[in-house]
Amino acid sequence: MRPPLIEVLDHSIRFGEVLANDRVGFDVRAGEIHALVGENGAGKSTLLKLIYGVYRPDSGELLADGKQVLITSPADARALGIGMVFQDLRLVPALTVTENIALALGGRFRTGLDRVSRQIHEASVRHGLQVDPDRQVRHLSIGERQRVEILKVLMTGARLVILDEPTSVLAPQEVESLFGVMRRMRENGFGVVIVTHKLGEVRAVADRVTVLRAGRVVLRGADPADHDDAALVEAMVGRRVPPLTRPRPPVPDDAPPALELVAVDADGDRGHQALHGAGLRVRPGEIVGVAGVAGSGQKELCEVALGLRPTTSGEVRIAGTPLSGDTVTHALALGAVGIPEDPVSDSVVVGLTVLEHMPLGGRPVPKRGVGIDWKALATRSREADERAGLHLAPLHRQVSELSGGTIQRVVLTRALADDAALIVAAYPSRGLDIANTRRTQELLLERAAGGAGVLMVSEDLDELISMADRIVVMHDGQVAGTVDAVGADRMAIGRLMLGGADAAPQPDAEGSAA
Amino acid sequence: MTATATPPEREVGPVPAAPAAPTGRAALPAIADTVLRWAAALAAAVAVFGAVLLVTGADPVSVFTNAWSNTVLNGDAVQQILIKAGPFALTALAVVVPSRAGLVNVGGEGQLIAGGIAAAGVSLALGSTSPGGLTMILMIVAGIAAGAAWAGVAALLRLTVKVNEAVSTLLLNYVALDLMLFLIYQPWKDPHGTGQPATPPVPDAAKLPVFTGSAVHVGLLLVALAVVAVWAVFRWTAWGYRLAAVGGNPEAARRAGLPVTRLLLTAMIVGGALAGLGGAIHLAGVEYQLRPSFGSQLGYIGFLASWLARHRPGPVLLSAVVLAGLAVAGDSLQIDSALPAATVNILTGLILIAVLGWTGSRKKARA
Repeated sequence: MRPPLIEVLDHSIRFGEVLANDRVGFDVRAGEIHALVGENGAGKSTLLKLIYGVYRPDSGELLADGKQVLITSPADARALGIGMVFQDLRLVPALTVTENIALALGGRFRTGLDRVSRQIHEASVRHGLQVDPDRQVRHLSIGERQRVEILKVLMTGARLVILDEPTSVLAPQEVESLFGVMRRMRENGFGVVIVTHKLGEVRAVADRVTVLRAGRVVLRGADPADHDDAALVEAMVGRRVPPLTRPRPPVPDDAPPALELVAVDADGDRGHQALHGAGLRVRPGEIVGVAGVAGSGQKELCEVALGLRPTTSGEVRIAGTPLSGDTVTHALALGAVGIPEDPVSDSVVVGLTVLEHMPLGGRPVPKRGVGIDWKALATRSREADERAGLHLAPLHRQVSELSGGTIQRVVLTRALADDAALIVAAYPSRGLDIANTRRTQELLLERAAGGAGVLMVSEDLDELISMADRIVVMHDGQVAGTVDAVGADRMAIGRLMLGGADAAPQPDAEGSAA
Repeated sequence: MTATATPPEREVGPVPAAPAAPTGRAALPAIADTVLRWAAALAAAVAVFGAVLLVTGADPVSVFTNAWSNTVLNGDAVQQILIKAGPFALTALAVVVPSRAGLVNVGGEGQLIAGGIAAAGVSLALGSTSPGGLTMILMIVAGIAAGAAWAGVAALLRLTVKVNEAVSTLLLNYVALDLMLFLIYQPWKDPHGTGQPATPPVPDAAKLPVFTGSAVHVGLLLVALAVVAVWAVFRWTAWGYRLAAVGGNPEAARRAGLPVTRLLLTAMIVGGALAGLGGAIHLAGVEYQLRPSFGSQLGYIGFLASWLARHRPGPVLLSAVVLAGLAVAGDSLQIDSALPAATVNILTGLILIAVLGWTGSRKKARA
């Protein structure tokens, strides 16, 4: 048998205290799709960066085609035929597809853009990657950009293509078409690595799967068919995770909706109209999911619901009361809590400790004279931590020095430990490992059972389908449709996300592409 | 979910305890760390300054010993340092309070002058008709109000038409200065004076009393009180906490329902009030009359003092005294070592760069 395209032997790398990769072994063969899975912080990114020459290992060997090699920079990696498609696609929005690819090809193609354009055409036919060489990248949807990026990597001579969580930004149809491209690459003899944390994707495309946990390889190059989902999750998490049980108590019909949006228009940060006549209703005890391609107005929807973004027309009502005056404090007073899309920029206050972040949830704070009763607040926070069970960071730690997932758990504990009238949660499980994701989902269900209306944005359709009562699908700032979560058709949701049958360009998706 | 690019992705159930201090540095108590930092920076600055002196042909050792014996070892000079440190500390606090809310107040100079003008106005209006003690108190109150108002103008400009407060406070310094010059050249000029442009002196009874046997006036008690008050307000009040929240992340504060606008406005106004207090004290305790040089550079030096103290109220006292010491030592350099007056500015500049540079690199090392 031919030696693998690339083989990693006993790689170790240490960052300070953390052994990010501990004697990791990994290999990719020509003509296979190899899934690399693991939780955040398991060491996947580190491993990829070792292979791509971004990091140098403390120890270990790297073999390419069976021969020992030394990769000290991404240029070395590319020379060996290793190509990487990063999550944040690295294209210049103002240039055309041809210009972007010419840029990447560098001096090897001096003969002008026409020739590059022809080569793009040939390559796109060969690999089944449809792109229009003359379009400007900023007019392309995320899925199209990803195709350009893959094409770019292939045209620079890669034989091994590494895709870092490529599906996280795609609609289901786009995921299918990406998988089609990957299978074609496999048939053409390329080695493909896909990083993911979704088991469904592993089953859909991968020939082999390698599981990393806490820097170690738990399962190396196994056939996914030999392991059931529970076993793979156990490999990732290190223990069994029981399936989510969803108590679905009947939603009372007569109570005023926890949240009601009536024909809401609102502008986005860049001055464009981000919401066009958006309307929806969340009843107490109900979980309404929001699906949509990134940048379709989800962020603005959440902000409008919490009074954080002014509406240009329409009405927002919380528990039956229209928001007025200082809409932020009004929403908070009506019992709304929010989990921001980007906790680092919207919740983390530099210089304040975990305890000092607790009053910033918007709920009333215990006072003592002209000051805040920090002792009472500390007691309250510890109780909240116990109820929430999300392992709140020590109260004296500076929040800005915590990792993303730990920060998220501070925000979640603050928002979800107590009952609320309305919870607007944007990507609540972002940055969390499987166990904490599960606990967060349980908390949202508990709060809903306690009478809260929950509006929940997620990029994970499976998460929405398993948790929500209904799913509102956003497209281009409008509510394109609402579907019942029970028995929801993923493809139907995907069609709504794309605003019709085929993938139209999404100018609004630009902001989130960066 | 995003795979973070940077190494220490720790995401394993319960948060691990604070990562053990990477080196001995973080193991030091904060105060020792501060003292070491200052000592190192001062030593570096003095060394470079010594080199400058060598180049100019002076003997650094004798310059330093002269400066040392003429300041720290000299009782009068120590009093001078304390008196000078007063306004420095207040104009530094005028930077400290807004900076907690994320605002940059470069207007301590103008706010101090505004305070001085208001105090002089009170003294002029009341003359000797009211009891001295009452005049004194009214002067101080008027100074505080005027400084607050002067800063309030900048705050309103920022909150209504979004003029950057660093620019507006700086420009208002010139307005305050010109207003003062107009007053002392024209309507408020002392008719019984020597012909020099100046206001009539504050009545003796309204001058701040001095401690027996010294030149140190009781205004310094107010300075100490102000420092303690700012510290206590930051530490203990909801307002102080909210300023820190707004300063650390205005968006987070907004989302928490905090009155961001009001907090920014009050932070700036309180800062201006402190500088205005400085103006009143400087008039009633040191200058006794407005002259064209009244308050000159006090605000800017206070600005530097606040930066040196990293905008914390306690250390402001220390940095104000150090800068005052340098100012007094400057006189010594000029008189005893026959160096140009500007020489001390070089030393001041070196110290600032050394201390601030050290702070910057430390922050980076932490990040």
